[in-house]
Amino acid sequence: MVEFAIFFLFAAIAVIFALVVVLHRNPVVGALSLVASFFALAVMYVLLDAPFLAALQVIVYAGAIMVLFLFVIMLLNLQHVAEPNTRPIQQFLGYTGAAAFGIGLIYFILKYAVFTALPEGPFIADARAIGFRMFEAYIFPFEMVSILLLAAIVGALTLSGRAVGHRASVGTELDKAPGAEAR
Amino acid sequence: MAFDTTDVLLSILKIVIILSVWLTVAPIMLWVERRGSALIQDRPGPNRVGPFGLFQGLADAVKFLMKEDIVPAQAHKWLYTIAPTFGLLPALTTIAVVPWGRAFHIRELHIGGFTLFEGGRWFNPIVADVSAGILVVFALASLAVYGVTIAGWSSANKYSMFGAIRASAQMISYELALTLAAVSALLVAGSLRLTDVVAQQTTYNFVLFDLIKIPAWNVFSPAMWLAFIIFSVAAFAETNRLPFDFAEAESELVAGYHTEYSSMKFALFFMGEYMSMATMSALVVTLFLGGWDIPWYQEPPTLLGGILSFISFLLKVGVLMFVFVWVRWTIPRLKYDILMRLGWKVFLPLALFNIVLVAAFIAAGWI
Amino acid sequence: MIPTHWFLILSAILFTIGVVGVLTRKNGITIFMSIELMVNAVNLTFLAYARQMHDLHGLMFVFFIMAIAAAEAAVGLAIFISLYHHRDTIDVDEANLMHW
Repeated sequence: MVEFAIFFLFAAIAVIFALVVVLHRNPVVGALSLVASFFALAVMYVLLDAPFLAALQVIVYAGAIMVLFLFVIMLLNLQHVAEPNTRPIQQFLGYTGAAAFGIGLIYFILKYAVFTALPEGPFIADARAIGFRMFEAYIFPFEMVSILLLAAIVGALTLSGRAVGHRASVGTELDKAPGAEAR
Repeated sequence: MAFDTTDVLLSILKIVIILSVWLTVAPIMLWVERRGSALIQDRPGPNRVGPFGLFQGLADAVKFLMKEDIVPAQAHKWLYTIAPTFGLLPALTTIAVVPWGRAFHIRELHIGGFTLFEGGRWFNPIVADVSAGILVVFALASLAVYGVTIAGWSSANKYSMFGAIRASAQMISYELALTLAAVSALLVAGSLRLTDVVAQQTTYNFVLFDLIKIPAWNVFSPAMWLAFIIFSVAAFAETNRLPFDFAEAESELVAGYHTEYSSMKFALFFMGEYMSMATMSALVVTLFLGGWDIPWYQEPPTLLGGILSFISFLLKVGVLMFVFVWVRWTIPRLKYDILMRLGWKVFLPLALFNIVLVAAFIAAGWI
Repeated sequence: MIPTHWFLILSAILFTIGVVGVLTRKNGITIFMSIELMVNAVNLTFLAYARQMHDLHGLMFVFFIMAIAAAEAAVGLAIFISLYHHRDTIDVDEANLMHW
């Protein structure tokens, strides 16, 4: 009973904030709504008997990736870059295509993916079980992901460095204060 | 999950107890900070409002409530208002997974014809004993960065923005060292639950001269004293306290990211800082100083044992909070590039080395 | 117990919202955030099936997806920063140097 109430509440929160991300003009509001949506998804993960992954979701997504997004938006003052309106034909095709896709997905889920009962026994998904699996069956992907993260760090540093001769100080971005233009 | 009324009522009681203690931390620490700093600086400190200035906190609270709430005209209204709550959120929610007393057994009570606690019940003084205990702490502590960043950005003020950028960069750098230093304590306990971490520290490891038993607190262990130091220093950096408070640098950036905040919103930042100090102290106590354990005394699993262990926990947290105040008025502020260099080039490698060391000790059977 | 197909339907709804975001917005950062939303919807599907089949492989997949999404976010935002420095806009329609 309580589980159902929690599920509906946090599913509603996830969907509403996802809509805000997609529909709102200001990317800062979008980024913060996405954080709220990730939080609601973490609660969903707890309902699915995976508290370890719920905590990881908040640490990695809400606590690190979205902080990175917010830094980039705030430092480049991107909330003032006026976004021109999308052409009506693109909007129409986008909405109808996505709606058709979504309705098709839900139809096929209800037709083929309705399970009657869960298997017997508890589902142990804590750190110990994941640790055993990680270092026995998934040791190779684990090492590859660490090399991938190294490549990502080097790539991010190289791509965001400025061209030689354009060494601007931090002050130039901050001269455009957040409230300077007309809101 | 079979919930019955007694479970729900006991949970509410636990929440009430721990929240009421944590919410009174701010007024108490205010007095301790001002009298303590006065003691260190050889001056009287507040001594007019009540005996020894004890009601200074009350006077400050009245002042905060009466002050005019000024909002800058170009500030983003919504974000400006909710930014202080992001600072409070981690401090108040992470305390839910910290054990603050010994689990004890409540016998059946027969009061006037009613039978309470039928069949006896175990009362575990921890609000939420989840299996991924310490990960919840890290998850919620990483949300503190949002409070600082949004507060600085939404104030429409260059100094606030500078302070916010520096503070958030510092916080995310020291989060890594904090997490890795805590992993050493978890390796020894073999579990992510904080109750297991404390339970492992209630025994005795070494016996000196056949007489003195050294409690198995992690700080006394040869492999983990370094992790204790790293965790404590990273706790200073996470809560933006001196010597790491370059973000609030009173003499340089006016007041950093909370320059434009007045009255209750500033009071919320203030309270949030003290409460996160208290939460970090509680974590240091749980991971390294034995949690609620009273050394050389076997607490009985009764109400008396529970209360004694709660008092011991509060005493340890209190001592660490005084150390926070002591360090603030003793050590000068670190320059920002030195601060960042320390975080990335000194503490992170040391914390990683410590994990390897603890793992080697466990593999060799010495722990 | 909450039926598994409820989680799958929630995941489908979130994925569709992400698709709408990618197709109709022109702000590069918003498109990127919609992509992250789609990745999270897929994570939810993996976990729902993992609980249904009592199989830990779903969880391991989600673990690796999170790590890879973090790497992708870092590199993607670096690309956006570089685009902004060269063209002074993050409107993705302006990134058309290779257009015919």
